[in-house]
Amino acid sequence: MMNQEERLELVTRGTVEIIQPAELERVLAEKKKPRAYWGFECSGKQLCQNGCLD
Amino acid sequence: MHIGTGLVCGTKIKDMVKAGFHFIIFLADWHSMINNKFGGDMEKIETAGEYFKHCFTALGLAEDKVEYIWASELAGKPNYWERVIRIAKTITAQRAMRALPIMGRDMKAQDVEAASLFYPCMQAADIFEMNLDVACAGIDQRKAHVLAREAGEKLRWGKPVALHTPMLMGLAGIQGSDQGSYDDDPKLSSVIAAKMSKSKPENTILLHDSPELIEEKLRKAYCPPKIIEGNPVIEYYRVLAFRENETVILRREQKYGGDLTFSSFKEFEEAYKTEKIHPQDLKANMAGILADVLRGVRDYFNKHPEPLEQMRKIEAR
Repeated sequence: MMNQEERLELVTRGTVEIIQPAELERVLAEKKKPRAYWGFECSGKQLCQNGCLD
Repeated sequence: MHIGTGLVCGTKIKDMVKAGFHFIIFLADWHSMINNKFGGDMEKIETAGEYFKHCFTALGLAEDKVEYIWASELAGKPNYWERVIRIAKTITAQRAMRALPIMGRDMKAQDVEAASLFYPCMQAADIFEMNLDVACAGIDQRKAHVLAREAGEKLRWGKPVALHTPMLMGLAGIQGSDQGSYDDDPKLSSVIAAKMSKSKPENTILLHDSPELIEEKLRKAYCPPKIIEGNPVIEYYRVLAFRENETVILRREQKYGGDLTFSSFKEFEEAYKTEKIHPQDLKANMAGILADVLRGVRDYFNKHPEPLEQMRKIEAR
């Protein structure tokens, strides 16, 4: 089982911004299985992802 | 799916799953319709959504690791639209428009379908409807997330944490992209413009490209010697190679000086700035790294060619 620090490091690595880091720490401290998402527009293979969602 | 979505998002999602998150990959079919993907044809949008699911599965994010939810599943719930409206009531129409990077700052209200105003409100509603603690996206989504946080606070629904990743630029770099204005922040605006440039097929590497095609695309990539800023190949090293590995080995023929080992991106960047690395070696090695990382995806689509065939069909004009 990972400790809090390891979880935080894993979640934040390679990111450019967290709003807000202290809130993320609180989520990790309070919840074993917090909920997260990433939204994707269903676009083409070639088409660009015009800026909305990803 | 291009490598930006596949690798940057894919690895972050894997990190989050490993850290104990219940992770939802949200297939935004309704949002795609608003944004006129495939001319707003829902049937084609669903096909593209299924293809995305296959891409993430190929990357190691099958249904036993993450949950897949379609926007249309949420849109079918009676309370969902009340949420959208309640969120819309906390902001002005101008604010909703500005939360849409696609608009471009030069665009006027008369050029925009009214349906677009639903987009950021739906993005916020999705977050609350799925009871999320953390919302992840590329940095171009920060305005939508800030909007969701403010609306959540006003409505006493809580404030989701927002986590943002870098955007990968297309292989032509920022130079190759249009210089339209997409954000008040000029730096973010050029990043979004560079993301847009990926609409050109030769400008972007796809998850299922063959090693030969990856090599060919990289060979043509914009990669000026000594220059770090706006150099897409350098960017790929920073975001993809040094993120996963402690050290990166640059293979070179003996006559060109032999292999080089770097233990940090900083060290690597210095070597490039001082011309200790030739752009050609940089490109050839990145092609090798990508071909390696994407082997599993290619194997998957060799075994499951249908989703690619479906996509070819709906993309044919």
